[in-house]
Amino acid sequence: MADPGQAQDIVLASDLTKRYGEGEAAVDALAGVSVAFPEKRFAAIMGPSGSGKSTLMHILAGLDRPSSGTVSLAGTELTGLQDKALTQLRRDRIGFIFQTFNLLPVLNAEENILLPLSIAGREPDREWFQTLIDTVGIGDRLTHRPAELSGGQQQRVAVARALVSRPSVVFADEPSGNLDSKSSNEVLHLLRQAVDEFGQTVVMVTHDAHAASFADRLLLLADGRIVHDGEAMSTEQTLDLMKDLG
Amino acid sequence: MFKLVLRGFLQRKLRVTLTAVAIVLGVALMAGTYILTDTINNSFATIFQTASAGHDVVVTPTQVLGRRVRAQTSPVTQGMLETVQRTPGVAQASGSIFTPGTFLNMKRERLTTTNAPAFIGSLVPSHFESFKPVRGSFPQNAGQVAIDEATAQRAGLHVGQQIIVAGSAATGTYTIVGILKFGGGESFGGAGAALFVPAEAQRLLGETGRYDQIDVAAQHGVTPGELRDRIRKELPATVDVRTGAEQAKKDTSDLENNLGFLRTFLLIFAYVALVVGAFIIFNTFSITVAQRTREFGLLRTLGGSRAQVLRSVVYEGLMLGVLGGVLGLLAGIGIAPALDQLFKAFGADLPDSGTVIESRTVIVSILVGVGVTVAAGLPPALRATRVPPLAAMREGVSTPRGVRTGVGVLIRAVIFAVVGFGLAALLSSPAVGVIAFVGLSIYVTVMLAGLVRGDRPARHRIVSALGRALGSLVRWRGITGRLAEENSIRQPGRTMVTAMALTVGLALVAFVAVLADGFKATIDHAVDSSFAGDLIVENSQSGNEQGIPTGVAKALRTVHGVSGVTAIAFSIGRPRGTSSNETVTAVEPESFAKVYKPEWKHGSIATLSGLSGNGAVVTEGFAKKRHLHVGSTFTMLTPTGRDVTLSTRGIIAENAGLLGGVTVARTLAASAFGQREDAVDFVSYAPGAGNAQVQPAVDRLLKASYPQTRSRTAAQFKQDLAGQINSLLTLIYVLLALSVIVSLFGIVNTLILSIYERTRELGMMRAIGTSRRQIRQMIRYESVITSMIGGVLGLVIGVVGAVLTTTFALSGSSYVQAIPYGTLVVLLFVAALAGVLAAQLPARRAARLDMLSALATE
Repeated sequence: MADPGQAQDIVLASDLTKRYGEGEAAVDALAGVSVAFPEKRFAAIMGPSGSGKSTLMHILAGLDRPSSGTVSLAGTELTGLQDKALTQLRRDRIGFIFQTFNLLPVLNAEENILLPLSIAGREPDREWFQTLIDTVGIGDRLTHRPAELSGGQQQRVAVARALVSRPSVVFADEPSGNLDSKSSNEVLHLLRQAVDEFGQTVVMVTHDAHAASFADRLLLLADGRIVHDGEAMSTEQTLDLMKDLG
Repeated sequence: MFKLVLRGFLQRKLRVTLTAVAIVLGVALMAGTYILTDTINNSFATIFQTASAGHDVVVTPTQVLGRRVRAQTSPVTQGMLETVQRTPGVAQASGSIFTPGTFLNMKRERLTTTNAPAFIGSLVPSHFESFKPVRGSFPQNAGQVAIDEATAQRAGLHVGQQIIVAGSAATGTYTIVGILKFGGGESFGGAGAALFVPAEAQRLLGETGRYDQIDVAAQHGVTPGELRDRIRKELPATVDVRTGAEQAKKDTSDLENNLGFLRTFLLIFAYVALVVGAFIIFNTFSITVAQRTREFGLLRTLGGSRAQVLRSVVYEGLMLGVLGGVLGLLAGIGIAPALDQLFKAFGADLPDSGTVIESRTVIVSILVGVGVTVAAGLPPALRATRVPPLAAMREGVSTPRGVRTGVGVLIRAVIFAVVGFGLAALLSSPAVGVIAFVGLSIYVTVMLAGLVRGDRPARHRIVSALGRALGSLVRWRGITGRLAEENSIRQPGRTMVTAMALTVGLALVAFVAVLADGFKATIDHAVDSSFAGDLIVENSQSGNEQGIPTGVAKALRTVHGVSGVTAIAFSIGRPRGTSSNETVTAVEPESFAKVYKPEWKHGSIATLSGLSGNGAVVTEGFAKKRHLHVGSTFTMLTPTGRDVTLSTRGIIAENAGLLGGVTVARTLAASAFGQREDAVDFVSYAPGAGNAQVQPAVDRLLKASYPQTRSRTAAQFKQDLAGQINSLLTLIYVLLALSVIVSLFGIVNTLILSIYERTRELGMMRAIGTSRRQIRQMIRYESVITSMIGGVLGLVIGVVGAVLTTTFALSGSSYVQAIPYGTLVVLLFVAALAGVLAAQLPARRAARLDMLSALATE
């Protein structure tokens, strides 16, 4: 495992707030969050519904803008970027894994994996592609369309899609939320593998303590603030910690 | 329930608007057509009423060969007038003239520029006169004329100035002594009128001693009906005797009959637009029903009955239909003057005083709007009723399969029939009807076979194949092109119906384009084969069916460089024992035989050059139908109401170009058929004489003596005819454009609904770095592929349909097949452009999609 001490911070956020609505009805989804994600590490963000974990991830990934505060990703300041530059940054520097897989039903598995490169108009690195499909284990399903794949297979395709452009960071939003426990474990192992073998940086939002146990680091959010930041723990320890924090 | 539907309606403003447009445009054209034609009819009815005021009885020539055929020589004579004047109960009777002529200024330019006719009329006693001088007075002698105010204003003419008037016999220069106003001041249609003293009017028209009409006033105490019956007894059957009121009614109904063509012509385009609209409504409802599957499932779970589900969809169609009908009617009121302007632009000036909106127009507009919408929305509504209650519980339950039932096939077959037979009516061609019927039968058979076997319908394979082929056009653009291709064939049924809307319009455009090109080629061929000489002399307002004076031919013979002139006239006759009219060609036998060589079956060119008395040359077909051979006789009813017995002298091959079923000598046409004018003169040049010298000399003569005529070389003549076809073609294109516009809205609607369905996909694509430009591009390509599927199908159907129609319907005629490749390529571009245009709004919406809500899990 990489030494966190020497690692560079890929994602750096400081004093992030996100306020919805105005006046008395205003709700603070984020109430001042500062956090750094060093490279080649697997972080899990947990928290109850409405804790702001999704909002945080959206802002870190350039999908949403904070009300105040700054985010920099791989050295680029996101806050001031126009839509065009932000889109390009997401395309080249970020990988996404969604709870609902979000594969394009009209493309086959291979085309779905290569989608980020197609959008960028780049040729795939064949060797890397081969390594990826060997790792996610869908080599025999490449010509199948999503409708012909199981949920677990679809999410493994989605993982390959997130990794294919070798992004600076992969954001995973409840990647195991729609899967049975076996498939869920396979996908989480894949993320672990991505960090350990390929030196990928992964930030995962989840409400599943078991999923969080695959990570290196555990962040707990409540009411828009970070209430815990430490080494990842076993499922039981995590559940206890969450219970303690109420 | 109704409230619920209304609320949904208001929430989907954009879709409702787009769908309503589909119906509004068709209804608008329909309402506009009714309003325009009602207005024109009403204007004419007023004119005829004014014209018959003070007339208790009117004597007019009997139109024995139907309303459209009028003898050039009136059977109403001075003797008849005197007979009427002697009839007891007649207070006053006078003969009058009212026949088309030509007005020119002193520069010999026509005063009526459009196709509206100009009439030469005779002054009648004040009791009968419907014109009143607004300045000056009525003419007193043969050198004077009074003209209508509109013509005077248009030409900037005043009392004291001179004009030239050309009739079918003579031309003269006259001093304007009065400017006239018709009746109560309403416009006299678009037509012009010039009044002369009776003898001068008769001289101009070559009808000395004859009248177009006898106007009669009854003595006090004698009813018009009584007087009519008394006069009827005194006069021969070659004239009709009517009361003034009857005459006005007859004139009005004749006119309505003539305008009926205009109404039908315009209504066909309205029906086409409505059929296209029906496609769009069907598609929109199908898509929304699919998207509301869970809602319907929930409704059923909560105890809603199938009938309630059906009602919720049908109510929406009903409201949409009422909205479309009302808006269409309002738009129609606006469209009517625009249609009028459109016709003016194409040279048909029709009177229109005061917009007339009959209650029929209102009722029909709204009924059609509602009817079409509800009918088109019904199949999807029925599908909605088959949503199982479970659909509410399950994620991603697909809608019940499309209407693959007998009823569905029937509904589609009806739509098909409307299109097919509409086309047949459009071209008044039974052959199209036959083709539509054959196509319909094939369709129903295939669909029923598919029903039994439960296959994927063939049309889906067509869409996929076309989508793939057209997709290759955009695939090189990378992932956006590739996705556009896949998305366009993702739901083949939906794409098909969307594309079909465009197909209908473009098929008709292609059909008409092919036909027009064929007609142009046919005309070129016909002119080449039947242009008897080097030059043709015709009336310069050739569209008005006015001929040229018989004196022109004689005058032309004096021009230096002219070796021969032959005059041709066309009349009509009805062979005894039949009810169909036959074209009768009248020729000057000797000169004609020198320049025109028909193909002989029996007889020779000597037969033609020796044609005289009651001799006739007939075509093979005419002879066969009546078992005629050389020497046998047949009887024909002529426009003057006389029977004439003709003797068969020779038989020529069918399709003899200039020659109709029957050819007679011009002298016989004048005496028996009442033919006073010639249609055209053919001029042949002397050896060594060139067009550069002769045509200008001919033109100088014509301008000086017969200013209503002009000369044309074969090339110029072809160009004129091609020009006429082109302007008709343009008119049809303009009217069909409406259907294409309607189908555009269909594409917009389908795209918007599809984008809504793919919200999550688009959100994901944006999240992983697809730019807004790429999203717009993808939607645009999808739209272009869809519109091109419609375009390609339309062109194929149109061209194949036109070729089949002409092959079957015009086989044996001299029709020359021609395919306008250039136009077809342009049409493909139009289809592509339609796709680009239709994609504008949907593409923007897709690119502006809110990513976070698109990605949010439910």
